[in-house]
Order: sequence, then C-alpha cells, then structure tokens
Amino acid sequence: MLALTAALVVSLAPSRFLSPAWADDPMSVVKTTVNQALEVLRDNQTPLAQRQDKLRQIVSTTFDFTEMAKSALGYHWKQITPDQQQEFTKAFVAFIEDSYLSKVNDYRGQKVAFLRVTTDGPQYAEVNTDIVEPEGKDPIHLNYRLVQEGATWKIYDVTVDAISIIANYRNQFNRVMNNQGYATLISDLKSKQAALAASLANH
Amino acid sequence: MTSGPKQIERTGARWMMLASFLLAVVSFATPALSQGAAPMSQSPAAQSAANPSTQPPGENNQGGYADPMSGFNEPMFTFNLKLDDWVLRPVASGYATITPQPVRESVDRFFDNVRVIPRFANNLLQLKLAEAGGEVARFGINTTIGLVGFFDPADELFGLKKHPNDFGLTIRYYDIPTGPYLMLPFFGPSTIGDTVGLAADGAMDPISYFVPLWVAFTVATGEGAVEAVNYRSLHLNQFEEADRYAIDLYGAVQDAYLQTRDHDVKKLHEERW
Repeated sequence: MLALTAALVVSLAPSRFLSPAWADDPMSVVKTTVNQALEVLRDNQTPLAQRQDKLRQIVSTTFDFTEMAKSALGYHWKQITPDQQQEFTKAFVAFIEDSYLSKVNDYRGQKVAFLRVTTDGPQYAEVNTDIVEPEGKDPIHLNYRLVQEGATWKIYDVTVDAISIIANYRNQFNRVMNNQGYATLISDLKSKQAALAASLANH
Repeated sequence: MTSGPKQIERTGARWMMLASFLLAVVSFATPALSQGAAPMSQSPAAQSAANPSTQPPGENNQGGYADPMSGFNEPMFTFNLKLDDWVLRPVASGYATITPQPVRESVDRFFDNVRVIPRFANNLLQLKLAEAGGEVARFGINTTIGLVGFFDPADELFGLKKHPNDFGLTIRYYDIPTGPYLMLPFFGPSTIGDTVGLAADGAMDPISYFVPLWVAFTVATGEGAVEAVNYRSLHLNQFEEADRYAIDLYGAVQDAYLQTRDHDVKKLHEERW
C-alpha cells in the first residue's frame, strides 16, 4: 500500500511540477526547470522529437520569450511597426528555442550545481549555477536572471561565463539594424533558425 | 652573467618602452573620457547600480558600443576569420589528430606557467599581494614538481589557484578608460588599452631578458604561433559553434570580449579585500 502511494506520488510529481504556481521563488523556479530539462536530456530511450517537444514545453513555462525578444532589440523595438514586432518576436523565440534544443545532442552527462541567489531589488533575482564537466575541466558558469511577474518568476536572460546572452544578441541586432535595417535582420534570423531546425531534424 | 653593461642597457630599453606605453595610456585616456569610450564604460553593473528600478539588471547597453575604428576592425575581423579558416584550424586539427588531448593540455599549462611574470607584476600593480605571492609559489611548485609547468600540482595538491591578470585589466582596475574597440590581426579582439597592455605584458616575457630583442621577438612570434595552434586544437568546435548561433558574428565577438573584460575587472575589485 505504501509502495503504491509512493508510486502514485512519483508518477504525479512531474505534471504537478510543471505548474509555475508551485515555483514561488527564483531558486525553485530554476531548480525545477533545470531538473526537468536534465531528466529529458538523460532519457535517451524516448525518440528525439518527443524529447524536444517536452523541452519546448518546459522552457516555455519559465522563460519570458516575448520580453527577451523586446529586450534583444533594444531601442529599435520602438522603431518597427507592431506587425514587425510580432514577426520579430516569433522568429526570435523560434531561434532561441532551436538553439536550446540543439544542445540536447551535446549533452554528455554533465551535472548541475545550484549555487546561490542574489537579488537586485524586490523584482529582480539572479540564480547562479555551475555546469560541472565530467572530466574535471573548469565548470561553465550559467546564471539565470529572473523578473517577478505577478505571483511567478520568469527567466528573462541567461549568462554563460558572465556573458549575457540577451545583451550579446542586442549588440548583434543593433549592428544589423544600423548597417542594413530590419529586412536584413529578419531574413538573417529566419535563415539561421532554419539552419538550426534542419540540423535538429537530421539528428 | 653575460656581458653586464649590455644586459643593463637592454633592461633599460625595456623600461623606457614600458614608460612610453604608460604615457600613451595617459594621453589617450584623456580624450577617450569625453568621446568614444562612453558607452563602453556603461557596464551593465554600473548602470543598474545607478538606476535599479527602471531596467532589469544587465539589460542596459541599449545603444551598442561606440566603434569608431570599425572601418579598420571589420576587415581585420574578416582577415582573422580567413586566417583561421585557411591556416589555423587545418593546422590545429591536423596537430590534434597526431597529439593526444592530455599532451595538448600539458602544453597549454606549460605556456600558462611561462606567463607568470605578467600575472605576478599586474597583481602587484593592483596591490594584490597575496595573489602575486600565490603566482610566485605556483610558478615554483609547477616548474619543479610540475615538470616545467606541464602539470599543475600547485592547484591539484596545494589548492593554489591561478590568479589571471594582465596590464589591460590593471588599466581598467584604476578606472582608466581603455579606449575604443580594436580588432588586431592575429591576436583577435582588443581595445587600444588592451593592446598597450599586450605589448607591456609581452615585454615582460622572460625570454626577452636573456637574448637580444630581435631574437626575443622572433621567438615570441614562433612561441605565439605554437601556443595559438595548441589552443585552437583544444577548442576546435568553438568558432563553428559561435557562428551557428550568431546573427552578426562580429557583433557577437565584440560584445563577448567587452563583457568578459568588464566582468574580469569587476571580479578583481570584489576580491580586493
């Protein structure tokens, strides 16, 4: 009976943890998301397409992709039309998702250490984690920046070895916008995303 | 103990070089204060400290970096990419197939060990005495027990971590603007200040104490080439990876470099006391 209860709890756990309402502080949001993602990464029995769908679902609940797209465009956001804003957000989200998904194939059993949370005012927090490489190499420092949106915390940026990904894209987008303009930016973004998606499908 | 006076002369010349570098730093720092470097000093941390409520931390470099030398930098970037494509990557991957990874990692550590003097000197210049001392201890241990630096027992057995430091960071450490972004041929991303630092640190290469300057220069070039090939062989996928995820590779490299330098000096300040 006890075993049955335990089995029930375990089988229910993943779906319950998907609900963001459970994750009420920055650390548990990150922990839950990362642990769920790791579970999918480790599970090499399930077909890749299914694992990618699962990952997409996990990240979409905790990443604020719309805010990321807006932020990555910086002050150019206000210079494009609402239609273009929508088009850009869609393309950027697809691009970031596919970048993330392509990491599935790179996973080599690395473990994640959850280090600490630092807060910046009541609204902003940063969760520091280390990706521990198996061969005793230097760990990769991966930090998640979160913003409180109502009752939940959402990830709006990730830093890899202290390099903010959103700031990095902002510099790239800013250069393309200034030198070539929006048409080039959106077509470059779409073609890079298509290339990523194609390499995902090939695996 | 070779020819005393000549040795002194050479040392003197080196210090003259250093002094003129320092002068150069001071002279470009003043105009840089008022113009191009402004957005670069707008480090995310500094900005978010100034107005914590208006924008998310680390999300402030809205206008990009001033890049007054982009006319030089962009062709240089293309040159470096071609150099990598045609020379460095093929050589490095050939070398990687005939040299086992542990050996290449040892070679990497060897070069790292040789570069102790700039690390020591710059830690000293920033009054980081424990770190400077740590570098001396590391050099002693790794040169002897670590077989001229091929291994790192200082870290593995004694827990003595490396304290990376360079003259470009010393410049930043004292809040001297490092001037606009500069893409160097062969060396890659830099700034005016970091280039001065590169030359200053290079002048501290121990090889240049024992041989005439032109020999030191030749050796340093050869050394640099071997080091570059070895380093590249350890990071064979890195550039291809960057290109896969970049929309504008120049901008990605520029930002990654400047963010890293900003972060490194921030870390130096945090470790101060």
